[in-house]
Order: sequence, then C-alpha cells, then structure tokens
Amino acid sequence: MSAPPPDLRAAWALRAPERELLAWGLLCVGLGFAMAIGSAQAAGARLGAEVLVAPALQLGCVVVIHLGLVALRCRGDQLLTACIALLAGFGLLVRYRMGAFDPGDPTDPGLYALPLGVTAMLVTCALAMRGRHVRLATAGWLWAALSLALVAVVLALGQRFRGAIYGVGLVTPTELLKITAVVFMAWFVDRHAKALGEWRGPGSMWPPLRALWPLAGFWAVLAALLLWQRDLGMLAVLATVQLVVLVAGSGRRGYLWWGLGLGGALGAAALGLFAHGQRRLAAWLDPFADPTGASWQILQGLSGMYSGGLWGEGLGAGNPEYTPIAQSDFIYAVIGEEFGFVGCVLLVVFVLILLWRGLLVAERTRDRFGRLLGLGLVSALACQTLLNLGGVTKLIPLTGITLPLISQGGTSLVTVLVMLGLVLALSDGPAPRTPGTRRTTNPRRRTTRPRQRPDQTQ
Amino acid sequence: MALESLTDPARWPVVRVALHAGLLLALAYLLQRIRDLHPQLPMRQLARGKGGERRALLVLILLFAVVLLHQASWQLTGMLRPQFMAFMQLYDRRDFNPAHRLRRGRILDRNGEVLVYSEEQADRVRRHYRDGPVFGHVVGYRHPRFGATGLEAVASVHLDGGTPLRLADWGRVGRQVLTQDEHPRGHDLWLTLDAELQRHAVALLGARRGAVVMLRPQDGALLVLASTPGFDPERIAATLGGAEDPAAPLLNRATQGLYPPGSTFKVVMAALALEHGFNTTIDCPAEGFTTSARYPRIRDHEYYEAREHGTEWRGHGAIGLGTALARSSNVFFAKLGVGYGHAAFYALADRLHANRPIVLHHSAHGRYIMQTLRLPRLDPDDRYGLAQMSLGQGALLMSPAQLALIGAAVGNQGVAMRPRLLRDQPPEALGQFFSPTTSAALLPLLRAVVTEGTARAIDDPALRIAGKTGTAQHAQGRAHSWFLGLAPAERPTLAVAVLVERGGYGAVAAAPIARALIEQAARRGLLQ
Repeated sequence: MSAPPPDLRAAWALRAPERELLAWGLLCVGLGFAMAIGSAQAAGARLGAEVLVAPALQLGCVVVIHLGLVALRCRGDQLLTACIALLAGFGLLVRYRMGAFDPGDPTDPGLYALPLGVTAMLVTCALAMRGRHVRLATAGWLWAALSLALVAVVLALGQRFRGAIYGVGLVTPTELLKITAVVFMAWFVDRHAKALGEWRGPGSMWPPLRALWPLAGFWAVLAALLLWQRDLGMLAVLATVQLVVLVAGSGRRGYLWWGLGLGGALGAAALGLFAHGQRRLAAWLDPFADPTGASWQILQGLSGMYSGGLWGEGLGAGNPEYTPIAQSDFIYAVIGEEFGFVGCVLLVVFVLILLWRGLLVAERTRDRFGRLLGLGLVSALACQTLLNLGGVTKLIPLTGITLPLISQGGTSLVTVLVMLGLVLALSDGPAPRTPGTRRTTNPRRRTTRPRQRPDQTQ
Repeated sequence: MALESLTDPARWPVVRVALHAGLLLALAYLLQRIRDLHPQLPMRQLARGKGGERRALLVLILLFAVVLLHQASWQLTGMLRPQFMAFMQLYDRRDFNPAHRLRRGRILDRNGEVLVYSEEQADRVRRHYRDGPVFGHVVGYRHPRFGATGLEAVASVHLDGGTPLRLADWGRVGRQVLTQDEHPRGHDLWLTLDAELQRHAVALLGARRGAVVMLRPQDGALLVLASTPGFDPERIAATLGGAEDPAAPLLNRATQGLYPPGSTFKVVMAALALEHGFNTTIDCPAEGFTTSARYPRIRDHEYYEAREHGTEWRGHGAIGLGTALARSSNVFFAKLGVGYGHAAFYALADRLHANRPIVLHHSAHGRYIMQTLRLPRLDPDDRYGLAQMSLGQGALLMSPAQLALIGAAVGNQGVAMRPRLLRDQPPEALGQFFSPTTSAALLPLLRAVVTEGTARAIDDPALRIAGKTGTAQHAQGRAHSWFLGLAPAERPTLAVAVLVERGGYGAVAAAPIARALIEQAARRGLLQ
C-alpha cells in the first residue's frame, strides 16, 4: 500500500505520466480545432478572436484538472484522467464544429458546461477521496427518495419534447439519476448482500423475495415514473446497472437470467402501450418504410457515415448539418462522417480504455460498497455509450440517450463528470493509517464479513 | 499573414489533409504512449487485483466490436445495401457522398440497345429509363420509399457492382473504401428482350389495356413482355398504385394478371384428349349440353349468332377433335372434360404448374415471378363446374405469360423451358407439360384453326401461324380477347400470347396483334 504524497513536490512528481498524456491529448484536440477553424476560414467566414475561446477553454480545463489533482495530492488513476480529458475535449471540439454553442456570446450556457463539469468532478473527487466515499452510504434510503423525487419533479414541471419529457428549463434533472439511483443500489446490495445471496429451491432457482421486496418496491415506482415520462433509455441504463450490481454483490448469476426475462417481458408489454416506442421500433425494423419521415434522422446519419467512409472528410469538410439535431444524440454520426471509420474505432478504443480503468478501480477497491459503486457507475457509462452507438448505427432501436462526454447537453456532461469524479476518488484508495490507530479489520477478509462497515466514525 | 495563407481556398485542401492525418497519427501515438506508460501506473494504493475485471472487459470489447462491425456494414460496404444506396442517391445532399458517383450498370436488350443507363450530370449520377413505360414492367424502378421492383430489384447487387467474388473484385472494393477516389461502376445487365418488338407490341396495344408475351420455345427466352397501361420508372408517385384505379398501371398484366382464359384453354383440353388416345367423334347438337337440368345449358356460339339473326342453327353434329378446335365448339369440350373426369383434369393442371407461380429470377433483393393457372379444387360431384372449366370459364383463371408458356411447350415437343429475361441465365427445363406425340399431333390441329377455323382472317402462307382464339366471358362487361400463336407451325420458333381486356372476339382484337408482331419478328429474322 502506497501512502499519499507527503507534499506538493512529491505529488507533482507522482503525476508526471499524467502530464505527458494530457499534453498529447491537448495536441490532438488542438489539431482538431485548427481544422475546424481553418475550414471555417477557408469557407470564407470572417473570424475574430472568439475562435480562440473554445481551444482556450479546453486548455484551461486540462490545466485545472492536472493542477487540481496535484493540489489535492490525489493518488487517483492518471490514465483515467487522460482519457476523460481527451474525450471531453473531443466532445467540446465536435460541439464547437457543429455550432452547438456560440463562443462569442458570454451568456451562452453551452460555454460553461465543461468548466462546470470539471469543477464538479474535482470537488466530488476531493470530497470522496481517501476512502471518504463510504459516507455516501450513510444516506441510505434518502438516495432512493431523492431519485424518485427527481423524476417526479420533471414530470410535474417538465415540458414534453420530441415524444418524451426531458428538461425543466435548461437542465435535465433525470440525468442525476445515474448518480443517485446508482448510489442507492450499491448501498442496498452492499447492506443486504448475504440475504440476497441466499437462493432457495431445487438448484437454487428462486431468488430471496423477502430480501428483495424493498428494492422491488423502489423499482416499481421508478419504472412507472420513467415510463410515464417515456424515458426508456434511462430505464434501460438503470436496469442494467441494477442487474450488474446485484450479480456482483450477491455472487448469484441467477439475477441476470431473472432480470433479463422479467425485463424482456415488461419491455414487450410496455412497448405495446406506448405509440412512441412502437414508432421507434418500426423505424428501426424497416427504416425504408418512411425514409423521409420517421427514419429521416437515422438514414441521414448513416448517409453521412457512408460519405465519410474509412478516413472521413476531415473536420469541417462534411455536411453533418443535414442530419437533424446531430449535435445531441447523433454526434457519433458526425464523428463517423468527419473522422471516418478509423476515427470511430479510435474513439471506441479510448472509451474502452476509460471503462477498463474504471473496472480495474472497482475490482480493486477494498470495501464492497465502493466496489459496487464503482462497478455501477462504470456499467452505467458503458451501457449509455453502447445504447447511443447501437442506436446511431441502427443495431438497436433509438433510445434518445446521449453519448457520454461528447454529446451536447450540459446536465449530461456534468453528471458524467461527477460520476467519473467518484471513480477517480475510488482510485485514490483508502485513508492512510495514521500511527496510533489500530487496524481493526483485515481488508483481505472483506468478503466473509458482509456487514462490516469500514466507516466506523459515525 | 502566414496563417491566413494556409487557409487560402487553393491551399487549404492540402493543409486540411495534413492536419487530418496529423490528428489521426497523434491519437495513435497517444495510444502507444498509454501502452508504454500504464505499467508505471499500478495503483498500488488499491488492493491487489485478481483480474476479475478481465471478463467484464472482454464482454465490453465484444459488444463494442459488434457495434463497430455493424457500423462498417453501413459505412464501408453500404454499396451492398440497395435500398440504402437508392435513399442516398435521391435524398442525400452531401456532394462528396460516393453514392452520387456510383454509375449503376446499364440494362440492354438482346441486341445491345441501351434501355436504362446512368449518366453524370453536375457531379450527380441520374438514372434514365429510355422509352419509360414500354419497359417499365420489366426493368422496374428503385425508390427509397416504394422500394424496388422488377430487374432493378432482382439484379440490384449486380447492377451496383456485384458482390465481390474474386480477389480482384475485393481489391477494387478495398481501393474504393481506402481512397474514395475511384468512381464506383456497376455491371451491365443484358436482357433477352427485343426492344424493337417490345415497342411494336406496346404500340399495337395502344390505348387498350392488355398484355403481349412472346418467347422462344426452345430456350425460354422472352422476346416481348409488354403490359399496358405502363408506368414511367422515372416518375414514381404514391398516386400511381391506387387500388381503386381500374387502369392499375403498376400491375404487370403479362405476368401477374389473371383472367378467364376462355377458348384458348381448349388447347390444353385437346392435349388431354390426345394424351388419352382420343380418335372418335362427339355429338354436338344445337341444344347444347348440361350435367343437370338445374344448370343453364352450355351451347356453341353459332347458336347465339343464329338466334340473333332470327335463323335456326342445326348444330355441329358428330365432330372430331380437329373440327372442334377449328370451330371452337363449347359443347364438344364440355362433354370431353366431363367424360375424362376430375382426376385426369387436375393431373394435367398440376403438370402445368397450376396454383404454383413460376420464379423467373430471384435474388436476396427481389423475385421476378409469373402467375400461372389458378383454379380451386372442385368437389368430385361438381361435374358442371368441371364442364365450365373445360371451356376456360367458371372458376379457372390464367395469366397471359402462362398461355405463352403452354404454347411454347406444344412447340417444343411438350417440354416447357423456364421463361427467362436475362441473357446470361442458362436455359433450364421447367417440366414436361405434354408428351412429344401429343405435341406433334396438336400442331397441325392448331394450324388448321388459322387456315380454316376461327382465326382464318390472319392466315398468311409466308408466316405459317398456328394458334387458337379465345373470347372469355366475365362478369364485368365485354369479353376479353385472347390469342395464342405459334410460328412457323411445323417447328415453331416463336410462341406468342396476346390479351386485350374487353376486346371482344379473340379473332377481332387479339389475333391481328399477334400476326403483326410475328410479321415484324420474321422481318427481324427471328422466324427461322
């Protein structure tokens, strides 16, 4: 076990690899900005000093991330931060190219999403590092109440937009479910891990209903509210997280089969009830039945990708504006068009590195709550990315879900960065033992003592 | 300023490509650095890893690989998706989309005359259909909304460049994917149709609704496959296919239209009689024939004509098969059909592919099929129904293409060759419709129909047409006019079926069209 760096100098030295990776990432994004700005200028646009706002923003964010982590003397994973900075910068670049925000207008909220998100990530990390993430567990059922309240607020105040209720004003509160609901699930499964692992019947085929019913109650309300809101994508993400956390926490793979079976049945039933979902399913099954209507967006996105081919047209050289609202859900199609299939593969590789580091952190976190929390957050990100990519490439029906770190949408970006801040905090490891505190438990025996609460302070 | 000169429109493309390559290279280098550096980032502050994340990572890699593979099927090999290509060619406004430069293959007739071609106009490729409606039903159309039909659908992949089969083809696709510079070009498609004859057939039908099918009995090659009214494949609209529109321009009457065949079906009944060794006579009195007093009597058309003129007709008396065919006696064939019974009738109908459409060509993207005979299974006690079907009336329906195929089988020693539209498709036997002796015996009888029977008006010693007229009654008005022709009668090299909807007598409307077309074919040297 390595102790945290004693002073800033040591922290600066510790985070040297991160510095190098961040610098290379900055170069990549900088080249992209040069392409985007140059294309606009070559097309005859009159450009002022405001073109430098977005690159400066990226530079500032990367510097703040690095210096912030050094100042915190954080031991957090440096590969994770490099991937976060690169993907977030890439997102800023593509959003800038799509004109999703106006760099010349200081009142444009799109300008502040990334700085706000980076700050939130650092604050989250500072609060939860050194093993302090276990404090999240003290709130317990409050997380469930908060989750349900968030959806209820959106239902009460939100506007219906493209078939579903999303936002209240500028924010999309349900995005926060990916934090609140995941923390609740991790806490619940951690607390009842032993009971949840005791399956009954021949071949242990029946799950322990007595231990499950509070969770089932929460899910009944949550699913009903989300279905009412018609946010099927969020429902799919949270359900996936729940299954992963249940299987990992209880060690019972049966939850997966039961969950897939029940989820499939409920999904089919829900689809029968909602014309919104049926339309999307029909557009997925036969996109050429109504190419100029229901399937226009996805076919335009695919046309853009086909036009981009293997290498892409180059940033600023394509016409992604022909795909309606491409900057939000269809940003991946823009990347395919302008960076080509090669660019998409590279993007997926960086996403996979990010997810790999996240999984590694979760796997190696000592306390079970932290482990389940990390696993839940990473699976939420993975599921969201897969749903978005699968939808845009027509592998699965569209769910209207954003691409983490890349898509337009301030709340989504801030939420994802907070989630990654939590993972970063987990990777900082437990609090260092100060002399005089006797080590009360053996961390290697954690699996045999499910009720053990590492946080003994309260 | 030096920076501004870089974005000069003349220089920018080069600079952009350099930046693009630089970005991709920088990303690749970053990956390399991550590979180098990650052993130095062991996260020692955490518990020792047991590799539990590896399986989860493997699942994720697999899932993302599936997404990327599926993406590649659109992004890199989208040209193998015909509807997608059609969508992009019509609706995609990106000028750099390779779909706009794809030169789909031409469609040519048997003599190499171009019927359909793609042409570059203002950096876009447009598809042109010469003679629009004349070949519309054969070549079909491609529309992102209404899909694809005809050979444009069936041969879509071939026309777009084909599924790469050989290594060289894969190399071509690979170069195209890598550079996007090469203008992709499809393969040409050669038809068996004779453009001149097809145009002539459509002109002969004129404003009337109907169909003409001409094929070579020996190899099944279709020389004419015309249906009027037609449609222009360049102008497909939702208003075309209205179900209530009686003109139904999208309906290919030649292959999909089902009509009562009327007296032309007597050719089949004559074959049935010959197969059973019929060599006597049947009495055909003026009062006609019925199987039960409850049903109206089946009579010959001479009876009705006489009644119309206020005279009396004495009936044919006892006549043989030749006379019955030449005069198209209803009574004779009704008695003949009832005499041989249901089992013999259905056995022959099954051999003629009844109720089983024939596939001319098929691929993953469409099928070109023709309807044949449609008839229900009658109750074995329903002798009146059988008598009616023996005249080609009642519950029996047939497509013009099927009549031509039956004629072709008679002209080819009883063997029906599968009709085909593509020159390079090898001829293939579909089945033995009749025995060789039956066919040989039937041909002189059909020749007699033209020399001295109902079709004598079209006889021409130079053409030596054999055939059979048909005047099919139906519930919706004037009778459909049919004619089946074979020429030359001794060893036919052409079989032609003509249908004119509500054209009246077969000898009046349909037979002259067949004659004119055979005459034209003879001029083009197709009658040897």
